[in-house]
Amino acid sequence: MPPPPSDDPEDVDPGLARERTRLAWARTAIAFAAVGAAMLKRELIPGLIVLATTPLIWAVGRFASHVPRGRPRPGRLLVVTLTVTLVAVLAVVAAFVGHGPTSLRQLLHV
Amino acid sequence: MAVPGGGATSGGGGQDKGEPGAPGGNEPDARFTLANERTFLAWNRTALALVVAGLGIVQLLPPFPGVPWGRHALGVPLIVLGAGVSVTAYVEWRRTQAALRHGTPLPRSVLPQLLAGTITGVAVLAAAVLLVSAAR
Repeated sequence: MPPPPSDDPEDVDPGLARERTRLAWARTAIAFAAVGAAMLKRELIPGLIVLATTPLIWAVGRFASHVPRGRPRPGRLLVVTLTVTLVAVLAVVAAFVGHGPTSLRQLLHV
Repeated sequence: MAVPGGGATSGGGGQDKGEPGAPGGNEPDARFTLANERTFLAWNRTALALVVAGLGIVQLLPPFPGVPWGRHALGVPLIVLGAGVSVTAYVEWRRTQAALRHGTPLPRSVLPQLLAGTITGVAVLAAAVLLVSAAR
């Protein structure tokens, strides 16, 4: 007797999960690109750094997913976490240093 | 459900030889590994959005009249939350992967509480800053 037909499309085509994951990496890379481009207007060098990670993240999702049986590779996920954390640290630093209207110096004088 | 590889507890990979990043247990179904990875990526896009929102509040918004610290009070917690969500997502990805390998129940995520709590706090603070600014 054949097994009952499944409701889950992934049972028909297990490659869909891999495809979805690749698309999720692409979405993440696009998010980094958008943030990097937006940062360029105010902070040139950090913006360029974030932009430079975009092809790296895209390539990680595109090529590293050929690992047999989806073996976990913590290093490539660390790229994403470390970049987000770096951007956050730069953002906090940028919020308080310098001579602009948002600097700590200006805040304390007001 | 017909699961290639036999599911989380009886994956086709066999026992591991203690290689880095694969702490014992059995290789889980690739679909579970990939879903765990997508969850990590989704949390990191959320984290990036939080950082950008905080950055935008501090750098692009005009100052609140009479509340010079208002933009920092709202933006900096969002930026810090973004970093926290990103690091927590990585820690939970590792924990979930280990649970999948050993066939144990998945650990509960603290991220929803973390996110909801901080965003509620920032919202209350935003209302307070606006009221103080309007009263001056």
